[in-house]
Amino acid sequence: MAAIAFTPQVQRPPLSLFSTPKTPKPKTRVSLQPSSSSSSTSQLSYDPFVHQLAESLDDSLPSSSSSSSSSLQSLRDSSVQTVLSTPWPTRKDEPFRFTDTSFIKNSQITPISRPPSFPTTPDDTQFPSLDIVDGFLVNLSNLGELPNGVFVGSLLELSDETILKRVSEFLSTSSQGDLFWSINGIGAPDLTVVYVPAGCRVESPIYLRYFANEGGDIGSPKLPLSNPRVLVLVEKGGEIGVIEEFLGGDGDKAYWVNSVLEVVVGEGGKVRHSYVQNQSVNAAHIKWTSVRQESASTYELVEISTGGRLSRHNLHVQQLGPDTITELSTLHLSAGDQTQDLHSSIVLDHPRGYSRQLHKCIVSHSEGKAVFDGNVKVNRYAQQTDGGQLTRSLLLAPRATVNVKPNLQIIADDVKCSHGAAISDLEETQLFYFLARGISLEAARRALVYSFGAEVIEGLPYPWIKTKVESQIKELLEGSS
Amino acid sequence: MALSVFHHPSLTLPSPPPQPSPPSLRPSPSNSLQFTLPAPRPLLLLLRSSRPNRRHSSLRAGLSSAVDSPPQTSGSQPEKKLILQVRDLTAVIAESKQEILKGVNLTVYEGEVHAVMGKNGSGKSTFAKVLVGHPDYEVTGGSVVFKGQDLLEMEADERSLAGLFMSFQSPVEIPGVSNINFLRMAYNAKREKLGLPELGVFEFYAYLYPKLELVNMKTDFLDRNVNEGFSGGEKKRNEILQLAVLGAELALLDEIDSGLDVDAFQDVAKAVNGLLTPTNSVLLITHYLRLLQFIKPTCIHIMENGKIVKTGDISLAEALEKDGYEAIAKPH
Ligand SMILES: Nc1ncnc2c1ncn2[C@@H]1O[C@H](COP(=O)(O)OP(=O)(O)OP(=O)(O)O)[C@@H](O)[C@H]1O
Ligand SMILES: [Mg+2]
Repeated sequence: MAAIAFTPQVQRPPLSLFSTPKTPKPKTRVSLQPSSSSSSTSQLSYDPFVHQLAESLDDSLPSSSSSSSSSLQSLRDSSVQTVLSTPWPTRKDEPFRFTDTSFIKNSQITPISRPPSFPTTPDDTQFPSLDIVDGFLVNLSNLGELPNGVFVGSLLELSDETILKRVSEFLSTSSQGDLFWSINGIGAPDLTVVYVPAGCRVESPIYLRYFANEGGDIGSPKLPLSNPRVLVLVEKGGEIGVIEEFLGGDGDKAYWVNSVLEVVVGEGGKVRHSYVQNQSVNAAHIKWTSVRQESASTYELVEISTGGRLSRHNLHVQQLGPDTITELSTLHLSAGDQTQDLHSSIVLDHPRGYSRQLHKCIVSHSEGKAVFDGNVKVNRYAQQTDGGQLTRSLLLAPRATVNVKPNLQIIADDVKCSHGAAISDLEETQLFYFLARGISLEAARRALVYSFGAEVIEGLPYPWIKTKVESQIKELLEGSS
Repeated sequence: MALSVFHHPSLTLPSPPPQPSPPSLRPSPSNSLQFTLPAPRPLLLLLRSSRPNRRHSSLRAGLSSAVDSPPQTSGSQPEKKLILQVRDLTAVIAESKQEILKGVNLTVYEGEVHAVMGKNGSGKSTFAKVLVGHPDYEVTGGSVVFKGQDLLEMEADERSLAGLFMSFQSPVEIPGVSNINFLRMAYNAKREKLGLPELGVFEFYAYLYPKLELVNMKTDFLDRNVNEGFSGGEKKRNEILQLAVLGAELALLDEIDSGLDVDAFQDVAKAVNGLLTPTNSVLLITHYLRLLQFIKPTCIHIMENGKIVKTGDISLAEALEKDGYEAIAKPH
């Protein structure tokens, strides 16, 4: 519980909710005092809790004077300004109407301040892979095979001036973000950069493994917070695959991963994105994926989220030119006392865009919940857009809940768009077909539930991750039935 | 310029809505949709072992009469094993309680082929589906003994494992489940019942391959989802393939000959003939003489308004083919 009542006048609460590093360093960067000249609206939205959080994040960061982090610094500066006028979301705010973030607020949030010593097990794929532990990039492997001109690694290690310049162009121009986006902007200790130069097709995908090392034990109010941040920048005609896997870590630890991925796809370029989230059942997983697509570019996403007590994915795709292709498919499974939430928006401002979105969720636990808010906006100049959106939910337990809001806004007049929502239990005639062939009801249910999700899983572009996800899902479904 | 803002206009709900309690569906203020599954779980199949106990007494009646009464059908030898005995079977549609089967009697011995004919809507498919335990129907009276066991006491999967097979008149499509996986699940369920180890993918394929030839089906069909996008004829072949894989002491074939082209008809008829052995029995539901000329039936039953009103030999089907149901209407 948030035991302290904040009032806007109080600059510092009598007790700090956030543990700060043992050796506080002098703050040189930003004043976190709300400016006295701020307008009445920002006064109204001033939230002392958020102020405290921002301050503890700022304190937690190692002070760095490296010049290559100047773009990180400007990101922090602009994020601080935003955060100070953004209150913690409540269920009165439309984007959080069905998603309760209060357990995060009521925990003792501890920003993780030092690079952890964490033995990551080598992955058995031969792909170039990066291990990000508690928001810190700690390990890189198999990068030798990457073509010339491709950069994969920490921004702090990036020395190429042209790439640096490109990165800084995108880093500070924050777009549609919410409070969590800005919190990441303050708290990200580093930026992992994946840069693909013009015309370069990278054959093997980049495998990003996110580990959570620090975590509160069950019953403890501690909630260590990490802010991983990655930028994928693909220049004109470049192509790459990116796999993001958020792993559970040991046991049922409580932690908060507040992750941001930015993707820029240059003209005619292509990014194939796989996102697999299997974090601890006590974790808060908040994730932003912000995509900018230039003309004739392609962005494909396959998301499989099964972990977390609260998992919220904010997905924003902005079209910057005509003839783009966007394909998004998502499978959410709530097999425990958990919420899986996808808030997506696709903004089409240019002619002849093609977009397809498939959202599927399975809620197989009485306390389980799934939330989907999918907005597709077809603006005035987006003529001849071909847009489709479909959401299907499978509720398998009494009191299981979904809130779905597919929503298509069309202002252009020459477009082809369709959408639909269906909510169902398993088809009885299908179950009977199994029984009539001697297959038990339990096996039939399992096969049908699994097949519901298979449509999304099939879209994962690499067999090994497909196999891995398949067995995770099967295990979770078995455990919850 | 047209301005249109859609908020989930097409909301498809499952049809029919789950029984018995309809789920609560409440649109909430800003055009979002909240859906909560009511407790308890509405699935009929989950409510299965809730059959009346009186079945036990009818089982005894069924068994003793099987010993006492001489076989009703001509041509069957007294020493032949009784496979199926249906007595005064009545059944209603579970939802509406409308009675469809109004006292069906039928006895099938080992190795026999029975045909059931009758006008559209007379209850033939319902009869077959009730025998395999379809949840759309509720048995209200009578008895069914299958190989000495009370069939009505058994779950649908147990009936199948006991050797009863029905090919559906219109088999359902199952997206997301491949045909070969489905077949392997079914075959392994059968093996498990027999105490045999499961067959892996490759072993199963070796077992399956000759069966494919039997029904003249291409291997492509194995990787496709069960019945999804299959043509009418392909669905029929697929049903027979399942029969060939699983085997059955009694196969109920519901209009296996409908909607087939000339070649498919030959394939299916041959396959069914090939599956017939002196110990297998078949109950064919058909509208046409053609299949009956191919697969010589022991006897032919005419169903009318939920009852078997006439039983005879092939001449009954010939008369039907020639002059329609009027020709064989009861003389009085
Ligand atoms: N689940 C059901 N719900 C509603 N009505 C049903 C259901 N099942 C059967 N009926 C009705 O029961 C009657 C018998 O149907 P059935 O399918 O058994 O006929 P049939 O003899 O197989 O006909 P056909 O030759 O056309 O296949 C029909 O009037 C049908 O509409
Ligand atoms: Mg019928």
